Amino acid sequence: MSEERLELPQGTLDLLILKALSLGAQHGWAISERLQQVSRSSLQIPQGSLYPALHRLERRGWISAYWDASDNNRRAKFYELTRDGRRQLKTEAEEWRRLTAAVDLVLGMS
Amino acid sequence: MWSHIWSDLRYRGRALFHRSVVEQELDEELRFHLEQAAARHQAQGLTAAEAMRLARVEFGGVEVVKEASRDGRGLALLEQGAQDLRYALRALRRNPGFTVAVILTLGLGIGINTAMFGIVDRLLFRTPPFLRDPDQVHRVYLQWMNRDGLRTEETFEYTRYLDLRRWTTDFSEMAAFSVHPLPVGSGTDAREMPVGIISATMFGFFDAQPVLGRFFSAEEDTVPLGALVAVLGHGLWQAQFGGRRDVLGQSLRIGTASYTIIGVAPRGFEAIADEAPPAAFIPITAYAGTFRAGPDVSNYYTRYNWSWMQMLARRKPGVSVAEASADLSRAYRQSYESERSLNAGGTPAEIARPAAVAGPVQAERGPRQGTVSKVASWVSGVALIVLLIACANVANLMLARSVRRRREIALRLALGVSRARLFRQLLTESLLLAGCAAIVGLLLAHWGGVVLRALFLPNVPATAALADPRTITFALLLAALAGGLTGLAPLLQARHTDLVESLKSGTRDGGYRRSRGRTTLLLLQTALSVVLLVGAGLFVQSLGHVRSLRLGYDVDPVLYIYPEQRGSRLTDSEAAALRQRLVAVAGALPGVERAALGLTVPFWDTWTENLYVSGIDSVDYLGSFTIQAGSPEYFATMGTRILRGRGITAEDRPEAPPVVMVSESMAAALWPGQEALGQCLRISAETAPCTTVVGIAEDIRQNSLTSDRGLNYYMPIGQFHPEAAAVFVRVRGRAEEQKELVRRALQPLMPGDGYVNVTAMREIVDPRFASWQLGATMFLAFGGLALVLAAIGLYGVIAYDVAQRNHELGVRIALGARAADVVRLVVGDGIRIALAGVAAGCLLALWAGHWIAPLLFAQSPRDPLVFGLVTAALLIVACLASGLPALRATRVDPNVALRME
Repeated sequence: MSEERLELPQGTLDLLILKALSLGAQHGWAISERLQQVSRSSLQIPQGSLYPALHRLERRGWISAYWDASDNNRRAKFYELTRDGRRQLKTEAEEWRRLTAAVDLVLGMS
Repeated sequence: MWSHIWSDLRYRGRALFHRSVVEQELDEELRFHLEQAAARHQAQGLTAAEAMRLARVEFGGVEVVKEASRDGRGLALLEQGAQDLRYALRALRRNPGFTVAVILTLGLGIGINTAMFGIVDRLLFRTPPFLRDPDQVHRVYLQWMNRDGLRTEETFEYTRYLDLRRWTTDFSEMAAFSVHPLPVGSGTDAREMPVGIISATMFGFFDAQPVLGRFFSAEEDTVPLGALVAVLGHGLWQAQFGGRRDVLGQSLRIGTASYTIIGVAPRGFEAIADEAPPAAFIPITAYAGTFRAGPDVSNYYTRYNWSWMQMLARRKPGVSVAEASADLSRAYRQSYESERSLNAGGTPAEIARPAAVAGPVQAERGPRQGTVSKVASWVSGVALIVLLIACANVANLMLARSVRRRREIALRLALGVSRARLFRQLLTESLLLAGCAAIVGLLLAHWGGVVLRALFLPNVPATAALADPRTITFALLLAALAGGLTGLAPLLQARHTDLVESLKSGTRDGGYRRSRGRTTLLLLQTALSVVLLVGAGLFVQSLGHVRSLRLGYDVDPVLYIYPEQRGSRLTDSEAAALRQRLVAVAGALPGVERAALGLTVPFWDTWTENLYVSGIDSVDYLGSFTIQAGSPEYFATMGTRILRGRGITAEDRPEAPPVVMVSESMAAALWPGQEALGQCLRISAETAPCTTVVGIAEDIRQNSLTSDRGLNYYMPIGQFHPEAAAVFVRVRGRAEEQKELVRRALQPLMPGDGYVNVTAMREIVDPRFASWQLGATMFLAFGGLALVLAAIGLYGVIAYDVAQRNHELGVRIALGARAADVVRLVVGDGIRIALAGVAAGCLLALWAGHWIAPLLFAQSPRDPLVFGLVTAALLIVACLASGLPALRATRVDPNVALRME
């Protein structure tokens, strides 16, 4: 696809999913859509990699899943953050900020 | 943290146990996503089909995502295991011939090993049921030196037991015990059964409670005569008393006395019994106090003249085995001195060096291991070798199969299956096969093991293999091992699979090349079968030597008759008169050649007295001299030859001057280089009158077939315990056929409840051949099995080679090779392998020879005859095994073979 879209750094997909879900329960498609929109399509998120990540997060107990009707009244699998997930999001976001700040500092050296 | 683990487990559990539901959900979830994406594309103007296609492209490979999601679920390994299993099942079902061959071969190997395990376990490892802390419990062995070297004995005197109890401090519990076959019940119901004769302290060793009534107490087990009370074994209670609760208080005749039943032991309780579980348990002092057969033992608790019981001891906590043995040895030395003060003439302690050993509870592990358990250990080793050969066979089959599957394997590797995964798959296959083989093996051990047990442990009731968790565990472990071993070979080969080469080569699998692994396996098989067959040959030879041994008496025509007195107490003169009547009636029977009285019978009982010879300090030290007393007909009846001098005559009456015949070896031991005839022997006491040696008899074997030194002497029965004699009868023809006739003729002479016990000498002697017979039978059976397996292995490999070389052979035939040339080519190959295997096997057998030598009799472990025969047998088998494929090779049609390309 287009060159200006960014490859997602390793391990950040989990963080993005958790953030996307912090605004409310969503199904896989909606999460994918939301990530595209919010990042103004500048992030390259392969749709396929979303689902293994969702299952991994579910196993770790950071999100939980339930089946419900979607907007267009189809059965869809919804994910929502658990309490552990919220805590995880906080720590991971914190770490991310510290990391990027540090990287900025280094890059800002002249 | 915990909630995290819990969520993980719950998730995995759901994924594992509701696999199809989870899979379905995954399907649905992904479909939803694709449809949503497609709907959006459609809204932008694409057709339904194009929209769907685009959605799929954007999404990436659906299957890959699924697989990754499964991995995300953390179930990959388990799921893959199940998948591997299904795959293996399918592969095996596709190839039923191979599958059956492997399962049967391995099953046979596992089966015989499992059956042998049951036997060896019983003999060597299993501790008696209910025994508390078996590690702390010991059987006591006494040791001393005589001219033959170190002697070890676990059977000793009750007085000795009392001494050892009194003078040791390192033991918390001690008990005396013995198991004797005794008539149980009265009248026609009486049956001879093993009876546990035990001290009251014995029960303290066990965590067992009576199911009914109580066990007897120390107050009921006191010298000189304990209380006449009995505890029934669970088996007898069920079989003869129907498990009724009112047996308590009933009386039961055991041996010569009547006992009151006071309790019933729990199921499986047998105290310490090396063979069949006892039918009942009675106080040791009750048995000894009422003992009437044989010599006077009324002082059994103060004198040292009756060795008949064994001893159990429990170490105090913190006492080591060495300390315990030292403690026992100290007490035994004290006891030895106390014995010497009663019987002067025993070997001084400085020479005899008495010592005691706290040995293992299992008699067969102790210092006096019997031949049967030695043979059993050997046969187990042999069984293990058979299993190894079976494994080699199976590994060979697997290799042949994996060569054929090389393309399949290469293809799978090319498609991206990881090698680790492939290994797991191959291993799953061989473990699955081994698992099936374990089942076959257990069934085999369950049904066929009965035969083996009857051979090795004729007197121990068999426990079924399938009812014994130890046996089942053993079989499964063995199967896992065999599966791992046989799975290894194809794995090693798969490691080397060259993708490109394998895929490129056509249906004809490269050129003809036999892998070195398969040849090695074949060599190993042949060598191992040679070792087993050599062992078999040595045992068979050995058995022949033992069988042709001159025992010093005839076995086949002789019957041994013992009058059992019950219910009536006879005086010595009445008992002697009864025996005179018995021998007179027996001698007059048709079919009976002669009859005689004799005091003891070889292998069952021996009688020793202290001997004194002028000029010899301690006769005792020269060896154990056994006494036999007989009537004038004794030597002729037994067929024992008088070499010089005379035998017993009618003139040797009680009041006549005492005379004795000694065996050749005894004469040589006591009067080396002198004339034994006319020498003076003092029997029982140093002050006894001279007994004159009047004859030299041939040596007899009465303790052991092979290691007996033949130190025996004979007295006229009139001069030595005529009241304790038994009757020997020499019949015309086979003794066993006359048994019942003789019994019926003599039975009416018995007073009261008494009866006559008639036994053929053959029945007494034959069990002594058992270990050799056993060794020969088992080695031969297993050696034969090994040979068959090796032959199958060789046949398989050669046949496979011939099939592989079809093309080459076709070319040879097309170029003018004759049938004979082709046969020579193929058979020569087989013979070459066999020759190499035989050479390796012979070297191995020569090297291992000295291990087996102690089990052989008059047989060199390097007998050239045996080695020659085995080599010949192996080569013949190799010819046959490679001859069949060779014949098939001659029928290769060059037209077909060349056009196959």
